[in-house]
Amino acid sequence: MPKSENSLFAVIYVPFYGLQSARIKSLNRAACFGDTSSEQASFDLSESRSKHEINVSLADDQSWGVPAALLDSDGIHLIELNHAAEVAGVQLGTSTSQALARCPDLVLYARSIPQEQRLEESLLQVVYRYSPFIENSGPGICTLDLRGKRVRKHLPWLQELLAQIHSLGLRAQAGIGSNPEIALQAAMIANPILEIDSTLRQSLPLESLTSSHYLLDILKSWGIRTLGALAQLPREEIAQRLGLEGLSLWDRATGRSSNMLRLVKPPETFDESIDFEQNLETLEPVLFILRRFLEKLSLRIESVYLLIGELRLTLTLENGEQIARTLQIPAPTREIETLFRIAFQYLETLQTTAPIIGFQLQAIPSRPNDHQFDLFQGGLKDPNRFFQTLARLAALVGNDRVGIPQKIDTHRPDTVRLQMPELDWGEEKAQIGSSPRIGPGLRRYRPGIVADVELSHGKPVAVHSPMMTGRILELRGPWKLSGNWWDLSRWEIQEWDIELDNGGLYRLVQSMDRWEVVGMYD
Amino acid sequence: MPASPKIIELRKVLAERFPYEPSLPSLSFPTGWALFDSLLDGGFPRGGITQLITPNISSGGTLVLHEIIQSLHKASRHAVLVDGKDCFDPPTHQPFLLWIRCTNALQALKATDLILRDGNLPVAILDLKLNPEIELRKIPGTTWYRFQRILEENKNSLFIMTRHPIAHNSTYNMIMTNQIKIDDLSSLSLHLIQLFAFKISRRRAQQDYRYA
Repeated sequence: MPKSENSLFAVIYVPFYGLQSARIKSLNRAACFGDTSSEQASFDLSESRSKHEINVSLADDQSWGVPAALLDSDGIHLIELNHAAEVAGVQLGTSTSQALARCPDLVLYARSIPQEQRLEESLLQVVYRYSPFIENSGPGICTLDLRGKRVRKHLPWLQELLAQIHSLGLRAQAGIGSNPEIALQAAMIANPILEIDSTLRQSLPLESLTSSHYLLDILKSWGIRTLGALAQLPREEIAQRLGLEGLSLWDRATGRSSNMLRLVKPPETFDESIDFEQNLETLEPVLFILRRFLEKLSLRIESVYLLIGELRLTLTLENGEQIARTLQIPAPTREIETLFRIAFQYLETLQTTAPIIGFQLQAIPSRPNDHQFDLFQGGLKDPNRFFQTLARLAALVGNDRVGIPQKIDTHRPDTVRLQMPELDWGEEKAQIGSSPRIGPGLRRYRPGIVADVELSHGKPVAVHSPMMTGRILELRGPWKLSGNWWDLSRWEIQEWDIELDNGGLYRLVQSMDRWEVVGMYD
Repeated sequence: MPASPKIIELRKVLAERFPYEPSLPSLSFPTGWALFDSLLDGGFPRGGITQLITPNISSGGTLVLHEIIQSLHKASRHAVLVDGKDCFDPPTHQPFLLWIRCTNALQALKATDLILRDGNLPVAILDLKLNPEIELRKIPGTTWYRFQRILEENKNSLFIMTRHPIAHNSTYNMIMTNQIKIDDLSSLSLHLIQLFAFKISRRRAQQDYRYA
C-alpha cells in the first residue's frame, strides 16, 4: 500500500566512502609512526590533545582540498576520486601512472574492505540511536524512516548526528525527503543538511528518481522534465501508458513510495583493530591508537545507551604469537580517561617477545551498576581508580596480603583470611559485636619468635630470644588449646601470658617441645 | 537581583524554627570515639597527619587502634590499615577495614603513598610500632612532607603509630605513656581504655579547608 504524504525519510550519505575509510586507516598508521608529512594533519601523543581536535584532523575540510584517489584491490586502477582530483583532470578507471602523470600531487590510498566494514558497523550503531527503522542502503549510505519521530525541526538532531559521525573520522551529509530516493538526492547535494519539501521536490529533474532511459525518453518526448510536471499527470493514465514502472515513478514523484526499507539492526559487537605497516618496538604508538579506539568505541556504545564493562586487548606479534588480555572494569563507564588508565596500567608492564604488528580492542557493553547507599554511608569516590590502586598494592605486597580481614570459623589462633573488596564494599551494614572485648590488643609476631625458656616446676621463669630476654615477673596460664584431632592437621598448644622484667607483656606458646613468643600485648 | 519576598519570608520561618548557626565545613573526620575526637578537636584533621607515640613496650597502643577501627566501623566509615610489620590481629570481622600486610617500613611507605594518592579512603592508619629503628631511621624526612602535600590535595587524613616521633610536620602529636600490667589482661577493654592518659605534645593550627 502506498504510504501517505506524511511519510518522512532521512538519508545519511558519506561521500567518497571508500576513499574516506582508506584515508582514516592511513592516517592512523601514519600517526603511529609520527609521520606528520604531506596533507596528514599533525598528531601528537600528548594526552591533553582533545578528542575533538584529533577527530577534526581526520575529517578535516582543508585536507579534502588535496587531490586524492582510491586504488582497486590490485592497486592498479583508480576506483574513487575526490573533487580536487576531478578538478585536476584525473579520471576514474585510469591507471596510477596515467593519473600521476596528470596530477603529480595526487595522493593514492589502498582500499581496505575490512576497514570499510568496520566503519559501516560504526555508522549503523551511531545512526540507530536516532531511529529504530534504519536501512543499510549501500556503502556509506544509511536511510532512516522517521515515522514516530515527533520533532518539528530536524536540523538540530541531524547536526548532532553528523557531529558524531565526524567523531568517527567521517565527513557525511544528510538529506530529508518524503521518500528514500528523494532523501538520498537531498543528501547527495546537501551541504551538509538539506530538506526537500514538496515545492523543492517539484523542481527536481526526473533523473533524480529513475535512470531508466526508456521511461526518460518517453516522458521527455511528452515535454515532462521535472517531478512537478510528472505529478500533474493523472495516475491512471500513467499506469495505462507506462505500466508498473511508470506508476512507481509517479508515486515517488508525488511523495508516495511503495519501496519498503530493508530494516537492519546494527551489530552488537564493538571492536576496532589495526595492522601496523612497521613493527612497533615501543609503547607510545600503541597508546596513541588505544586512546583513539577508546574514543570511537565509547561513542558507539553511547549510541546504545550502555557502558563499557570489559575491555579485550589483543596484540599480534611479529612471530605470530598473540597476546590477549581481558580487563574488567569494576564500575562500568564510558569515561575515556578511566578506561585508558586501566588499559595503560596493563600495557606499561607488558613485555613482548617480538615487535608488535597488530592491535585489536574490543569493548564489551554492560549496564550500569545500581548502587543505593544509605544516608550515612560513604561510598568510594572513584571505584575504578580504587580497584586500580588495589591491583598495585597486590603487586607490591602480594595478592594474599591485602584485603578485608575475615575470621575463619576455627579456634586455632591467628587464622584470618583476607578478601578483596568488591564494588559494593560498604553496603554491608555495620554489625556491632555484642560480646565486649577483654584486655588489651595483641600484636602478633609473624612468624613467632623461637625462644629458649627456663622452667621451674613446669612453669616458665625466664625467656631468652633474639628480640626479648628477661626474667618472668608474673604469668598466667597455661591455656590449653587443640583442634582438628580428627585429621592430619591436628594441633595442640599451650599458651602462657607473661610479664617480663622489661615491662613487656607477651604471649608465649608451647607446641610439642618448641617455645615461641607469638605476640606482644599492647 | 534581589531575592523574592517569598524567599525572604521562607528564610525567616526557617531561622525561627531552626535557630542554629549554619555549620561550617568540617576540618576533621570524626572517629566516633568521643575521647579521641575531643582530644583532636573533632577528629583526624583533614589534609593532616596525626602521630600517636607510644614509647613503652606494652602501652595500650593496639587497644587504641582497635577502638578507632571499631568506632569507624560503627559509623560505617572506610579506613585502611597499613601494617608495617604484619602484626595486626583483627579482633572481629571488620568489613570496613582494608588491611595491607607489609613486611618492612619501606614497603609500608610505598603502600601508604599509593593509598593516599588514590584518595578514595578518608582515613589511612600507618602502624610502624614494631618496625626496627634501623628501618625507621632510613625514612627520608621529605617523605612526610610529600605525604602532607598529597593529603592536602585529597583532603584525607593519615594516622601514624610509632614509638618515637618520625613525622616532623604532623598536625597533632599524641603521647601515651601508660604501662599495661598482667592483671589488665582480664579487664574489660572498655574500662581499660578509660584509664589511658593521652598527652598532646604538638597541636598545629589547621588551615581553613577550602572547598572547590
